Amino acid sequence: MASVSMRRVDEVPDKELLARHAQGDPHAFAELVNRHRDRMWAVAIRTLGDPEEAADALQDACLSAFRAAGRFRGDAAVTTWLHRIVVNACLDRLRRKSVRPATPMGDDATFDAVAPKMPDPTDAHGVSLDVQSALAQLPFEQRAALILVDMMGYSVDDAAKVLEVPPGTIKSRCARGRARLAPLLVQHRNRRDRKNVGGVEGGGMP
Amino acid sequence: MNPAHYDYDTLADLAEGLLEDDQAASVNAHLDTCAECRDRSADLADVSRILAEAPVPSMPAELAARIDTAIAAESMSNATVVSLEQRRGRRHWRILSAAAATVVVLGGGAMVGKAALNGSGDNDHSATAHSPVTDRKDSNSGAPQGAAPSERTQTLGESGQPKVAGPYTVSRSGTDYRQGQLNQQVARLFGKGPELKAGGGQTPDPQLAQCVSTITGGKKPDLVDVAKYEGSDATVIALAGAKPGTWNVWAVGPNCSVLKRESA
Repeated sequence: MASVSMRRVDEVPDKELLARHAQGDPHAFAELVNRHRDRMWAVAIRTLGDPEEAADALQDACLSAFRAAGRFRGDAAVTTWLHRIVVNACLDRLRRKSVRPATPMGDDATFDAVAPKMPDPTDAHGVSLDVQSALAQLPFEQRAALILVDMMGYSVDDAAKVLEVPPGTIKSRCARGRARLAPLLVQHRNRRDRKNVGGVEGGGMP
Repeated sequence: MNPAHYDYDTLADLAEGLLEDDQAASVNAHLDTCAECRDRSADLADVSRILAEAPVPSMPAELAARIDTAIAAESMSNATVVSLEQRRGRRHWRILSAAAATVVVLGGGAMVGKAALNGSGDNDHSATAHSPVTDRKDSNSGAPQGAAPSERTQTLGESGQPKVAGPYTVSRSGTDYRQGQLNQQVARLFGKGPELKAGGGQTPDPQLAQCVSTITGGKKPDLVDVAKYEGSDATVIALAGAKPGTWNVWAVGPNCSVLKRESA
């Protein structure tokens, strides 16, 4: 499905691709996205939980990055910059959704729309439901920090650059997030007959 | 103060080095003697481990294609919205390239070209040949003025698949395109009207079709000319601009890397 021809410029550095893009090369940016799309997708799907939302956010992010490429500062890593745009696009989605639901809905439906959604348990997106549903319990800032540091393997300093906050803030958000996740994940692992914590996984306990 | 047990927050802060020294010391002292708090600390470490071990999801292919298309559309000056039509368009090109459809590429600014490009499919634009050939060599002559195309217009009808929408063929005008002049050169080609020269008149091979489709965001190109750019092998792809008579023109290398884009 991906363009065959684009694979051939793989060895070009990210920054060079961005520069080419700025010069009007329409392939350069597509290649950049191709190269990083799985990680960008991972950030988006884990941040938002819902594949549809994550897809829309990622498309938003790609287009914003496309337009903002001229403002990219060469001192940052391109991936840092891209992930920042993805995180911000996710945050925009969440805000928009909580401000105005797309369609008129009853109370329950409204609540569902605002709450982060669980992926379909039968879907193939590969996100562990335990992890995803636990992450969904976190405030956005903590979730984003943990996704970058614990899941994507960013250093605290790099995550700080992505999220544009001081490293100490990243540490504290990670600590808060882990403290919040610990009981959830421990419960997930150890007790199959746990109370329903919003997860869909497991043996059909209501 | 040394409570019975520490909560996850404190232990998580300790792990991140966020506690003041004296507090860190007392928590550590407590951990030495309290198995339950050590378990809690281990729970926290498990959180990081579980998160790290969560499988990395691949972007669904459907979404990858959608984003490719959105980017291609965005790279055209006047397109910002990816419509379903465009997505279908991509599929079309794939079908097309396999189907070896018919039709002439280049038409005059208006009618003949339109008719041909719209793919009525039944056309029989038998070769017309006039218009002075000024220069069609593959030269590096540096004389873009002289780079007028040769003069065969061909129609290939071998596939007998007239229903495929939006077919185009690949011309070989022999033009040596020049930086800064892509638009004029393309406009000049179009200005030639129906006698435009598709020296090859072939249907695009799948790789070229994919390249063209990516460049144009799935839109039907108005010109695909396998020619030269600054003396090197290149394919020039033109797409009508927002205003009549203007073109977005790309010169791409053999591997579909864009050498130059100009629009007017």
